[in-house]
Formats: sequence, C-alpha cells, structure tokens
Amino acid sequence: MWQVGKRQASRAFSLYANIDILRPYFDVEPVQVRARLLESMIPVKMINFPQKIAGELYGPLMLVFTLVAILLHGMKTSDTVIREGTLMGTAIGTCFGYWLGVSSFMYFLAYLCNAQITMVQMLSLLGYGLFGHCITLFVTYNIHFHSLFYIFWLVVGGLSTLRMVAVLISRTVGHTQRLILCGTLAALHMLFLLYLHFAYHKVVEGILDAFEGPNMPPFQRVARDIPVVSNAVLNTTAKAIALTL
Amino acid sequence: MSGFDGFNTEFYQTSYSIEDQAQPYDYSGRQYSKHYGGYEYPQQGGFVPPDMMQQQPYTGQIYQPTQTYTPASAQSFYGSNFEDEPPLLEELGINFDHIWQKTLTVLHPLKVADGSIMNETDLAGPMVFCLAFGATLLLAGKIQFGYVYGISAIGCVGMFCLLNLMSVTGVSFGCVASVLGYCLLPMILLSSFAIVFSLQGMMGIILTAGIIGWCSFSASKIFISALAMDGQQLLVAYPCALLYGVFALISVF
Repeated sequence: MWQVGKRQASRAFSLYANIDILRPYFDVEPVQVRARLLESMIPVKMINFPQKIAGELYGPLMLVFTLVAILLHGMKTSDTVIREGTLMGTAIGTCFGYWLGVSSFMYFLAYLCNAQITMVQMLSLLGYGLFGHCITLFVTYNIHFHSLFYIFWLVVGGLSTLRMVAVLISRTVGHTQRLILCGTLAALHMLFLLYLHFAYHKVVEGILDAFEGPNMPPFQRVARDIPVVSNAVLNTTAKAIALTL
Repeated sequence: MSGFDGFNTEFYQTSYSIEDQAQPYDYSGRQYSKHYGGYEYPQQGGFVPPDMMQQQPYTGQIYQPTQTYTPASAQSFYGSNFEDEPPLLEELGINFDHIWQKTLTVLHPLKVADGSIMNETDLAGPMVFCLAFGATLLLAGKIQFGYVYGISAIGCVGMFCLLNLMSVTGVSFGCVASVLGYCLLPMILLSSFAIVFSLQGMMGIILTAGIIGWCSFSASKIFISALAMDGQQLLVAYPCALLYGVFALISVF
C-alpha cells in the first residue's frame, strides 16, 4: 500500500510541480557566477548596442537568500521586535517580494516601453543588482555610522543601479521610454536600500550607551535621553504602585 | 520500481544490501556485489542472533524497513513465528555502526568521502542530531525545538529542489535530509559551547564562521561525491552555508 501511495504521489508531483523547466537556468560554473557578480558593479559604457544579459537564476537566488540572512543578522543584533509576524517571515517576505515584485513590475513597464528584455533576464538583472545591497548592508549593519552608510549608498548602490540602468537603456529605443524605465528602476532600487537600512536595524543610541553591554559598538556616541522611553517607564511604575496601594 | 539495476531517481536506495555491512569501511569506492548468499558477521557481535543465520539465508534489507521487495527468492522472512522475527532495531532500520561511520565522515572534513555511504536514507542519525541540537539549545535557555524543526524541514525542501535542478542525475529527498542532518553535528558543538560562553564577541564570531564553514564543507563534499558534480563544490556549499548560518543564528542569539 505504501508503494502504491508513493507511486501516486510521485506521479502527481511530476505532473504539477515540474521544476525541470527551470533546469537550464541553474547550469552554471563557479567562475561564471564570480564573473557576473563582479560585472554587476561595473556600469557598461556602450549603450548603443544591446548588452547581453545572462539568463541565469542561481546567482540571483543565492543573492536574495544572502540578503535574507543579512537582514536576519541585522535584526538580531539590534534586537528588533516584529509584533505581527516572525523575523524570518518578514525577511523572506521583504526580499523575495522585492525581487519578484519589482522584476514583474519592470517587465510590465518594459513591455509598455517596448524594451527587449525577457522575464528571466529581468529577474537575473535585478537579482545581480542586489549584490550592491548585500555589501552595503553587511558593512553598515556592523559598523554603525550614518555617514558611512550614505557613502556606501551612493557609491555601491549607485554603481549597481547604473549598471542595470545602462543595460536597460541599451535595450530600449526612444528617450521617453528610456526615461520612464530607468527612472523607475533607479528610484526603486535606491529607495529599497534606504528602506532596508532604516527599517531593519533600529539602533536606539541612548539606550545602548546606558547599558554598555558586550555589543558596545566601536564608535563613541553622545548619550541622549529618549523622552518616550523614560516617560513610558515612569508611567508604568506609577501605575504599578497605584495598583498595589 | 524494482531499482536493483541502480538507475532510478531514488539514488542507490534499494541496491545497498545487508551483506555490505559485514565488510569494514575502507573508502576505496568498492563496487556493489549483487549476490545475496550466506555470510558471516565477524564484528557485528550480537546484532543478528546466530541461530537466525543458520535457519535461513536472511536477505531482507536492514536499511529499508518499508522495502517489501525481496531480491531472488520469494520466501517470506517475517513469518508468524516469534523466533523468526528480526530484532527491533534491525526491523526499524537503525544500525548504530553505520551511524557512527557516517558521523566520523562528517567529523573529518579533509577525508575524501565515499559516494556510496549516503545511499540509504537513514533518518535515525539525523533525528538524533536534531534532538541533540535542540537539547543543547535548551540547556542554554532557548526552547526552540519548533524553530529547529521548521528550519530543517524548509531547508531540506529547498536543497532538494536546488540539487535536483543542478545535478544531472536526480537526488531523493531522503538522501538530502540524511546528509544535511549528519552535517549538523558540528553545529551541536557550537551550541554546547554557547551554553557556557557567550558567542557574541569577536571570538564567538570567528568560531561561528569556522563551524558554519566546516558544516557546509562536509555537506558539499558528500553531495559532490554522491552526485558526481565535479567542480561545483562551491556552488553547493554556499546554500548549505546559508542554511547552517540560520542554525548558527539561533545558537548565537
């Protein structure tokens, strides 16, 4: 009976979940992945000739998972509390939502603007563009320095955005179309990095200075009192005392 | 799906027989012998009761408790006699000697892995290791068995999909779960270290990185040798490293 059940399950699985159609997109060598990672930070100069985009999904998928891991690490080190949901679910939802959602949206815009790009190529392009985000967040989640983040945001984030924009321009005809497509992509990509930095690694500076635990960051900061927290503590204490009396 | 000629999607599942366990592991990539005759158990000791050997040639497969095919003869071995029944551990498919052999393979990262050692889908060892990991976390004050279970389940499914896409021959889910479970062993060392010392300093970061590298290196080494994916060890190691990194995150924070 087990054999019959197993046979039926495998037949259903092979019918409905045929992942073999994705097989060609995972056929890569380590050298190729490394080369594409480095290329994703170098903007191309030749925009009059359509640039080649590798339709590969291994590198982008690994980069999205890396971004998930970095986000999780950042949330854990800063003790971020997510009230409705889990840390893991939030991280995965954010990263995969960005990758799949923005790729689909850009593919739709590309269809409207007559750009020559397929869905897999768009996924691949945006996925490799997340390499800059991974580097920036990895560095700035561990070294808490706002101006360092802004430098990384402009330089590293800007380079990967420029690369994607240049490739898209090379595949689009017409000034208005190029402007729409590339402006949207640049805005979304840069704003996403900004959002990731500020939403997932809240560092409340005054409290950290007060505790001075083993996670003390290397840079000194000016101690600030946070009126919201101290008021909340005061109110809770007053309520507790009032209840006991 | 008889599988005794070896080429099916469930890699090596049914052609690993009990007689191979009588020979010690020498990692020389020996071929399988397909004959099922009489045999001795020199070092197995009391694992199979000796009177059982003289009664009938036992050709059942210890590692596949649900395997109902018998190779050559149609004799039924689990008869109605109480004495004819095999020992409980054998019937459940738990062989402690094999678990120990595979544990040693994981613990020596530089030793070349034999592709055949992970053929049978042995989930007893991985279960023990997951429970041990949860127990060490419990000793550190973190009751997170649910997280361990969820992450290992999702991670196994993810690795199964990825390896099936990347390899020419497919891989079975049991094999992936078994390999990933065995390679969780160094992570148990990390979480037991975390009971006594905090892992949040520089020393902890270096130790965590080393343990993650050890786990993913062992897992990728076994996958590469079992699936014959030459030159792609780094590509297999990286997703393993991400998975073990999540386990490390539970241990550290």
